[in-house]
Amino acid sequence: MIKVSGVTKKYPARLAVDNISFEVARGEIVGFLGPNGAGKTTTMRLLTGYLPMNAGRIEVAGFDVEKEPHEVRRRIGYLPENCPLYPEMRVDEYLRFRASLKGVRPSARKARIAEVKEQCGLTEVGRRIIGQLSKGYRQRVGLADSLVHEPDLLVLDEPTVGLDPFQIRQVRELIKQLAEKHTILLSTHILQEVEAICERILIIDNGRIVASDTEENLHRKLHACSIIEMEILADQAAAVGKVDALGGMNVRNASELADGWLWLEIESDSAAMRVELYNLAVAEGWPLRELTEQQHSLEDTFVKITQGKEGGR
Amino acid sequence: MSTFATLLGKELRACFCSPAAYVVMFFFWALTGGNFVWLLGQLAHGESLTLATQLLFSGPLLTFSLPVVVPLITMRLFAEERKLGTLEALLTTPVRVHELVLAKFAGAMAFYMVLWLPVFAYAFIQHRLCPPGVAGFPDLGALAGGAVGTVLVGAVYIAVGLLMSSLTSNQIVAAIGGFALLFGETLGFTILAYSATNPLMRLVGQYYSSFAHLMDFARGIIDSRIVVLYVAYAAWFLFATVKVVEGKRA
Repeated sequence: MIKVSGVTKKYPARLAVDNISFEVARGEIVGFLGPNGAGKTTTMRLLTGYLPMNAGRIEVAGFDVEKEPHEVRRRIGYLPENCPLYPEMRVDEYLRFRASLKGVRPSARKARIAEVKEQCGLTEVGRRIIGQLSKGYRQRVGLADSLVHEPDLLVLDEPTVGLDPFQIRQVRELIKQLAEKHTILLSTHILQEVEAICERILIIDNGRIVASDTEENLHRKLHACSIIEMEILADQAAAVGKVDALGGMNVRNASELADGWLWLEIESDSAAMRVELYNLAVAEGWPLRELTEQQHSLEDTFVKITQGKEGGR
Repeated sequence: MSTFATLLGKELRACFCSPAAYVVMFFFWALTGGNFVWLLGQLAHGESLTLATQLLFSGPLLTFSLPVVVPLITMRLFAEERKLGTLEALLTTPVRVHELVLAKFAGAMAFYMVLWLPVFAYAFIQHRLCPPGVAGFPDLGALAGGAVGTVLVGAVYIAVGLLMSSLTSNQIVAAIGGFALLFGETLGFTILAYSATNPLMRLVGQYYSSFAHLMDFARGIIDSRIVVLYVAYAAWFLFATVKVVEGKRA
């Protein structure tokens, strides 16, 4: 659906996007993740043909963005950053205006608008003036607009920014529903969002794609070893010695908790080593109350990837 | 074509459904009223009747208020779209930049022409007040000439204002830029035309002063050179606006 090859975008003062390439297949939901200022919005603007690129080539649905911009725009539903709308217009009026600009045939327009309003939960507010709607509703109007011409691809730039937690959940649910019919590229700097919605993650940092994979694969690649936490009632020096002696694992951290129990943080090749630890505790007669594998959050992964590059530069 | 119609419809709604438009309309209509009252005063003091129709369109009160009024109409056209970010939303739909620029121009022109409507009412009043036996009053030729001239000058002013609005996301900057350019032009060339000592400079002033041109038009003189000059002016500024909108994106 999207094919980006070797795209570079320079602004007068800096290089915003530096020779990036990636592909998005039909039907995928891809999260575009990166710190603020990493080049997410610029990349999306390049995709929609809003900004010209300095080098490279972008294809959307088989059309070249530079050579056939109108064909590309007909196939993209784009929600720009901050969801720009005309505050003085009514919701229906705005959707009619946008549908007509995007070439929805007059005969189909009414039905199509009713459909997207239904999808986005706007049926009740059709007559309301956009400027008087809450941020959550405005975001939905933006989404309805991006859907109205039945695009193959949805490009959503930070669709939940500025919403309250309840509204965020609603918009996410909506996006998940949309994913059944559309290919979605979604940018955000909120990690939970990507975890909640996306199948695949593209991480961009300083204008470069630094990772592109599913969430689990990213974790696996970055965290070759797993960390196991264990709480037992035992003598610290003895316990550490015994665990290290097991092989395949070593104690990274050990400390005595306030209630006298001993807490161990163990690095091991695989989480399956927990069985060995259990057997050890039974054999040694250590009371055991906790034995868990630490879950890596996407946050850790993200920080590791972007920081890692930072150090390498 | 249908895209253009959609865009124009939106522009017209935005023009006529905004409170700012009615403020502008109120003041301009007050000025046309003031102009008419002043004109009646002149006539009552024995001023020649031939001036009566001419000054309906080219009274100095009106001519010199246009450089203020037009930027007030045009300032929001692109600056507001930039500020709201809706320009990005517009230009990522299958809209062509020239369609957008022309729609905004046509919308502003329509509003501008509505501003001038009261003048025809005053012409009608003149006609009714005119004692029987005075033929050809109001002078329909002069009225038509005045209308053509007003539209031409308006087209150029609106095109200038549109260019100014496309350059910034700040409406005040757009308005002041347009005002400075238009007022400088009108006043500068008019001063040259009427009071330069150097005959060459005086000629240049006469060629370019829109005040002088409006006086001629309102007398019923439609000079094709001036028509071509104004159409070319407007076309050039519109072209420049298209290029600015195409180029200045971020």
